[in-house]
Amino acid sequence: MDLQTLKAKMDEAHYIYDDTLAIILSVALQLGRPLLVEGAAGVGKTEIAKVMAAALDRDLVRLQCYEGLDESKALYEWNYQKQLLSIQVNMGNQDKDTLTRSLFSDEYLLERPLLKSIRSEKPVVLLIDEIDKADEEFEAFLLELLSDMQVSIPEIGTVKARSIPFVVLTSNRARPLSEALRRRCAYLHIDYPDMEKELAILRAKLPHVDDRLCAQVALAVQRLRSSEAILKKPSVAETLDWAAALDALGIRDLTPDAIRKTAGFVLKNNDDMAVLEEEGAEGHICTGNCGGHHHG
Amino acid sequence: MVDPGVYLEKLSAFARMLRREGLPISPQETADASRLLITLGFENRETVKTALRTVFAKSRDEQLAFNRVFDGFFISEEAMRQQAQEQMQQEARMEQIRSEAQEELRVRDIPMDFSEEQWRTYASMPEAERQRLQNFMEKYRGNAERNPKLYGDFIHSVFTRTILEQQMLMEDAGMGVDASDPEIGMMYRDISQFKDTEIPKAIDMIQTIARQINGELAAKRKAGGHSGKLDFRRTIRKGLETGGTFYHLRYRKKRHRKRSLVLLCDVSGSMMQFSEFALRFIQSLNRVSENSRTFLFSEDIFEADAFALEDMDKFRSYVKDSGIYGRGTDLGTALEHLCSMRPSPLTASTTLLILSDTKTIDQKRAIQSLLDAKQLCGRVIWLNPIPQNKWPYLRSIQTMSAICPMVCCSTLRELAAACRKITDF
Repeated sequence: MDLQTLKAKMDEAHYIYDDTLAIILSVALQLGRPLLVEGAAGVGKTEIAKVMAAALDRDLVRLQCYEGLDESKALYEWNYQKQLLSIQVNMGNQDKDTLTRSLFSDEYLLERPLLKSIRSEKPVVLLIDEIDKADEEFEAFLLELLSDMQVSIPEIGTVKARSIPFVVLTSNRARPLSEALRRRCAYLHIDYPDMEKELAILRAKLPHVDDRLCAQVALAVQRLRSSEAILKKPSVAETLDWAAALDALGIRDLTPDAIRKTAGFVLKNNDDMAVLEEEGAEGHICTGNCGGHHHG
Repeated sequence: MVDPGVYLEKLSAFARMLRREGLPISPQETADASRLLITLGFENRETVKTALRTVFAKSRDEQLAFNRVFDGFFISEEAMRQQAQEQMQQEARMEQIRSEAQEELRVRDIPMDFSEEQWRTYASMPEAERQRLQNFMEKYRGNAERNPKLYGDFIHSVFTRTILEQQMLMEDAGMGVDASDPEIGMMYRDISQFKDTEIPKAIDMIQTIARQINGELAAKRKAGGHSGKLDFRRTIRKGLETGGTFYHLRYRKKRHRKRSLVLLCDVSGSMMQFSEFALRFIQSLNRVSENSRTFLFSEDIFEADAFALEDMDKFRSYVKDSGIYGRGTDLGTALEHLCSMRPSPLTASTTLLILSDTKTIDQKRAIQSLLDAKQLCGRVIWLNPIPQNKWPYLRSIQTMSAICPMVCCSTLRELAAACRKITDF
């Protein structure tokens, strides 16, 4: 898929992107490389996989990583209960070799996301979310899948991909990923969006919200992010929540009072709230036409 | 259209330059990049830059290095002409300043014996600083009559020292650190140069890095494997899932012996910020040691309450209340006190971690006490916030680093690397 077609598809999916992002996605697609996406929490890393699934008209298969995730949860598992039942039922009917062979067949194989994604007849988008939360062994295990698009199952042998999935890996950098994994992927780092992009996202996701309020929210969020005193910077998801909350409360103007009432949607820690109180009092955050105080 | 062969030849040279910058570029990546270049051509420079960056750079650091190399390598003709012109102008300007400097700095009508780099540094010094040096030279000019050689050597040594200090100041100002990413910039900057407004951000970064290190430690612990002894209880429980068959064997975990750690933190005025950062790091690492004690010292020493250090946000007020803040540094007294404590906190299984620059009163006593402490404990590691390029000029550092391993921790990146190291003991 060329760059222009991809852009058209993403437009259809109402996804707000810039040229850099479109080029990187196109490169990853063209080379058939997995895409490693890094960035702060809430900047839209996971969203990329969803949008690519929509743009490419593919199913999304998601693997959420966590500490202790292993092959049985990610790749495959034998259905032990069914195998035991089968042994009991067929105890006297078949010879042992046939029975053993039948026990390790597709019938008893429980496909987990990774296996499902490569055995699918139609190519899918495989999202391996928060890979930094998984253990290093799991990361090493992924290498075979990501580079050769095949996995080895001891009882069956090597399973080659029927279709090549578009793989998106996301990481919050909770721990550094191995060089081996990084080098197999195309790399994308997402920053917080600038004012223009954030406003476009607000307009696209919340078309019913007043445009003026959207602009005020976007500006206020930009100011919060640029403030050194704010430790947990608001994410895009929080911007959307905030605008939606303001709209739900019938607020049309981002006054200090409105900020105070709804601050919990955009800031998620006590110290940041205190900073907002101070800066809000001085009119640094408020962007509305409030008239009640002087804007510096 | 340009012959693809031309691109590929350039691309190969470009990959070599990236490797020289420390990016581990494999042949596979170069092959990918060549496929892209053949498809994209070189009509749009920015598109090519983004596409190649996706393939070659696999982290934020690498992206910055890539941008630098790309902008230097794939340069447009116009930019190349402009750069050459600017460089010529710059060189002419420097040459003029240099010849002026040689006129200004003369001892008995002979230009002083400086290296090319020193002349350049002198030429780029602020006007006020240059004037100050000239005044100094003028002040002692009378001595030249009495002993011309001594005067020449003395003036030369003063100039060399000032020029070196100026060079260090320029390095401390973060020259060479890419300012396009403030977060990465902070990692490479001297901790002592942080502004007050940057400290919350730095603390936030320390917490993030400490989380990363803890993640790595957890992974290492898991990778450490099992002790080899079967855990019957867990094996039987797991076997219930497979109808009583012991399909998955469970083993006992390996026991990790943690050593005890004694932290000796310098909290004199200039060291307070560094000690706070270092302690934050060490406190956040939950597998550093099973038994750690922290001593704070300046001219006196006292043991910090472990509970008080739980909340590092109150560390400053805690130190100020203790009465030792803002005083001079007496490492000798602090180490003597540690060695004489009964029961002794320093045993063969103890690692003594000293957080201090080496500036202390009564250095002889400090050295002797350090030798005594080294005999008592298993290992001494010194975390020093002074940038390593200044070490050759400080005699105290040279002496102390000959006695125990000294790790430079002048930036957050170095401090993080040092903390990774101490978790390996």
